[in-house]
Amino acid sequence: MAYFYAKYIVIESLLSELQDLDLSEKERHHLANLADSSLHHTILDEILSQLSSEDKKAFLHKLKTDPEDEKIMEFLNEKIEGVEDKIKKVADELVAEMQKDIREAKKVK
Amino acid sequence: MLFTSKRPHYEHLRKKWTAKHRSLQDKLFTKHEEVGRQMVVGGLGGLMLLTTPGIGAVPPPHTLTVGGQIEGEQDKNTLLAEKLKTVVPEEMRPLSIEEEDKVGELLSNSFGFSVKASMDGKKLNRSYGMIGGEQHLYRYPGDTLEKHADNAQDSAMYGSSGIAPGLGAWGYFAHSQAEFDDKAKMREKYYLAVQTFLSPGFAERVGEYRDFYRFRKMLVVNPKTGQAVVAVIGDAGPAAWTGKHLGGSPEVMHFVGLAKGPRKGAVLYFFIDDPDDKIPLGPVKATGKNLALRN
Repeated sequence: MAYFYAKYIVIESLLSELQDLDLSEKERHHLANLADSSLHHTILDEILSQLSSEDKKAFLHKLKTDPEDEKIMEFLNEKIEGVEDKIKKVADELVAEMQKDIREAKKVK
Repeated sequence: MLFTSKRPHYEHLRKKWTAKHRSLQDKLFTKHEEVGRQMVVGGLGGLMLLTTPGIGAVPPPHTLTVGGQIEGEQDKNTLLAEKLKTVVPEEMRPLSIEEEDKVGELLSNSFGFSVKASMDGKKLNRSYGMIGGEQHLYRYPGDTLEKHADNAQDSAMYGSSGIAPGLGAWGYFAHSQAEFDDKAKMREKYYLAVQTFLSPGFAERVGEYRDFYRFRKMLVVNPKTGQAVVAVIGDAGPAAWTGKHLGGSPEVMHFVGLAKGPRKGAVLYFFIDDPDDKIPLGPVKATGKNLALRN
């Protein structure tokens, strides 16, 4: 599934590092799930932190109805100034952190 | 049975990322509790806490409707597979024209769109054959394997297939990254390689046939399970000596249930008559309304 924000975040470097790890299929899927879910939680938190209670509900309803709908970004653009940059920033930070974790893990014997 | 791993680097990452994930989740629920936990959970969709490998994994999108309701897809697939047994021979051999007509009719009735073995006087060398798993294809100049994935789960599922060193028979799917759109993305995601060069009449009218086959929409069905995908012809191949008759992208192989083990198996592949380009690419479910042959 491509969430509505997929085109605004860059995760290739993380995917490349994950792909290089010697893992079983189950392990790879598990770490991938954790990475995706952590990114989603982080982005969700950033968006919700910028919205009023009423807009939070409207946004979450749209997200539940169709998480891939690009119109969600139109809605957010009306409510949050520079929302695309904000999403990109928190995603970049988490990706960098996870990449650091992978490099650290590679050294574990 | 509990899952265990002997890979220390995995254990290290698993513990670290699980703790990080828990902390993110707690923060999210606490910080935005005024909208209600259920509401926030709704926004998380399938991405709830995933601490143990093999459980809690996000179900494949084709099993979910909007809102997360599981559909009885399997039953309809099974019903279609049962019906196909009456018209598809056990031995994987080229179908006769009469057999192709019956299969085409059954598939058309099952899916609600017109499916044919031949179109505009053109047909492939066969419509029932062995599909093998292909690699990803470069979609535009500068494309990479990592860019094919929308998320880490995609990469874990399809990334191991790799990317073919050369281009598909029709070159890139878009001239540049700037021109690369959702349509081109879906075409590579759900592409087939078929033996265009073995289709009757190809050698006499290469240009005409090449244009006809380029991104032609096809329905691929695993007759044993009824799993089906709408795909496009994105490449020519495989060579006759391989023993395979067509190839499928990693996503096509996944959705016809042949992505594991030898990554090959028998499938039906028929043209879809879709002049207005209304039928979306991707996994498709039998409607279950017309799963009967007309006499």
